[in-house]
Amino acid sequence: MKNPDLRNNLKIILLVASWDLMKLKNQKVFLAMRIAWFTLQVLVFARAISYIVSQGILAYTGGVDYYYFYLLGIYTSLLYSTSISRGYVVADEFDDGIVEYHLSLPIKRSLFAVGRVLGCSLSTIIFTLPMMAVVYAILKVSNFLSILLSLIFALLFSIGIVGFVLLLVFAVRSADLTDILVGAIDALLVRLSTVFYPLPVIEATGIAPYYVAALMNPISHLSDFLRVLVFPEYYLVLRQGIVPTIVYMVAFSMGFLVIAIEYYERKLEAGGWK
Amino acid sequence: MKSKAVEIVNFTKKFGDFTAVDNLNLEIYENEVFGLLGPNGSGKTTTLLTIATVYKPTSGDIYVFGHSVTREDYVVRKLVGIAFQEPKAMWIDKPYDLLTWHARIVGYSMSDAKKIVREVMELLGLWEHRNKQFYQLSGGTRKKVELAKVLIQKPRVAILDEPTAQVDVLSKHALWDVIKKLRDEGTTVIIATNDMFEAERVCEKIAIIYKGKLRAMGTISELKDSIPRGDVIEIQYEGSRIPEKLFASLEEYGRIETQSSTLRIYVEKGEEKVLDVIDLFRKNNVKILRIMVKEPTLDDVFTYITGAKLREES
Ligand SMILES: Nc1ncnc2c1ncn2[C@@H]1O[C@H](COP(=O)(O)OP(=O)(O)O)[C@@H](O)[C@H]1O
Ligand SMILES: [Mg+2]
Repeated sequence: MKNPDLRNNLKIILLVASWDLMKLKNQKVFLAMRIAWFTLQVLVFARAISYIVSQGILAYTGGVDYYYFYLLGIYTSLLYSTSISRGYVVADEFDDGIVEYHLSLPIKRSLFAVGRVLGCSLSTIIFTLPMMAVVYAILKVSNFLSILLSLIFALLFSIGIVGFVLLLVFAVRSADLTDILVGAIDALLVRLSTVFYPLPVIEATGIAPYYVAALMNPISHLSDFLRVLVFPEYYLVLRQGIVPTIVYMVAFSMGFLVIAIEYYERKLEAGGWK
Repeated sequence: MKSKAVEIVNFTKKFGDFTAVDNLNLEIYENEVFGLLGPNGSGKTTTLLTIATVYKPTSGDIYVFGHSVTREDYVVRKLVGIAFQEPKAMWIDKPYDLLTWHARIVGYSMSDAKKIVREVMELLGLWEHRNKQFYQLSGGTRKKVELAKVLIQKPRVAILDEPTAQVDVLSKHALWDVIKKLRDEGTTVIIATNDMFEAERVCEKIAIIYKGKLRAMGTISELKDSIPRGDVIEIQYEGSRIPEKLFASLEEYGRIETQSSTLRIYVEKGEEKVLDVIDLFRKNNVKILRIMVKEPTLDDVFTYITGAKLREES
């Protein structure tokens, strides 16, 4: 690809992505409610839970206070559910026929697909920025590099989840059915992750499928990655080190992005979806 | 010779077992305002969406300035702009945001986008509604936002799917002028409509489609001339009834309908027969108060061709 081409394609992708960012503007009230709810959750309920959990947990968290451990878990699960609801916007647009408008626009459909995935994930990051600020303020994180890396990996995570949701949307072509499927996966995925319990604790349960699910789970990988960034001592909890997690996150996001684009193109190119 | 803007070749579109468009062949020339006329469910929207590469033909193909919608859809999309029948927006969206995004996507820089969006919104009387949410807008205003997209885009082929449905009568006339101006600036315009008045006002050529099939094609006067006994001679006479003898002679010209003291004769080439008719009245000493030759409406044409009423299903 020649350079002007690349620059032009990038411009188109960003323009397409701005569709989702534009929609964000109209959701200020919703956002305010979510921030309030999240703040209440981390300040009241999360604290309550961490009192209940015994001091013994420190052995499993590399010495990280359970409250802090949990905060990064619930930020991750927030990212997860926001990514999914952003992906739903695309499903709703399918049901409302707005997809027909998008398909008529003078752009390549592959670029359109990339733009939409990026738009959904960027708006997820923007939407959850205030919550991230709450968490990082409580954790007193001020290191610029940690924050930057957190954001980059949060974006990668979100791209993977959005790609996955879009794949479901294109495959079932109905927001209602997607709702049910994602609802089922949603209920399981957060619970089968390290949001609430560190991996060694899950391993100690002796339930192999639970352990394997948590090990393979993107939610586990992002929460653990963020924990290591903020509390280097948490590194000890990760038996394989941080590299597999980084590889996993990149592969997860790029994998679903590519599959979603491929699927979108194949399904929708020249109106093949109808 | 004008070049072909759109060429529809053996185009068939099926949804499952149902055939929405059945082997359609049409040629639309550059710089025409071309109308697809037919009641709801005829296959107009299906055809338009396929030209816009939103749907894919089940068989056959459509070419836009020689480019195939199946093989060069991206090239076609750069030539075509469409205003959909159902306005494409979520209830929460604002016209200004949507149109600015549209302008950017079709290639305007940010500052040019702002300029053209304002210009078009003011032209259509949309500026005061720019920051309202879609659910607050009337049906007609929503349709204007749809049309605005095409006016901003200035495509080589503009597709307008029932552009003035739900628009009030006063605005309709203004929109028709806007559409003609778009043509004058070099755009080929394809309009789907079930409003014969709209078809007569803005379209130079018309294809009548019904139940997925092309039934007739031509200029408006060609279509009107194509139906036998196409003209109507309408006579208002003095008195309450006409003599038997006169009635019998008039019947030789064509079918007669009477209504109090008005008489209608359905004839071919009315302007040639009207003098004979006046003569017959004079010979029978019946005074004519008013006489005129009327052309058939497109409704009459449609009814003649399909045996159905244009408005029956709308
Ligand atoms: N996506 C679709 N799936 C199934 N049937 C459809 C679809 N779109 C249109 N149809 C059917 O095809 C026929 C033609 O529809 P359409 O092209 O919308 O007609 P028009 O625009 O002339 O009113 C109708 O009977 C309609 O119900
Ligand atoms: Mg229609």
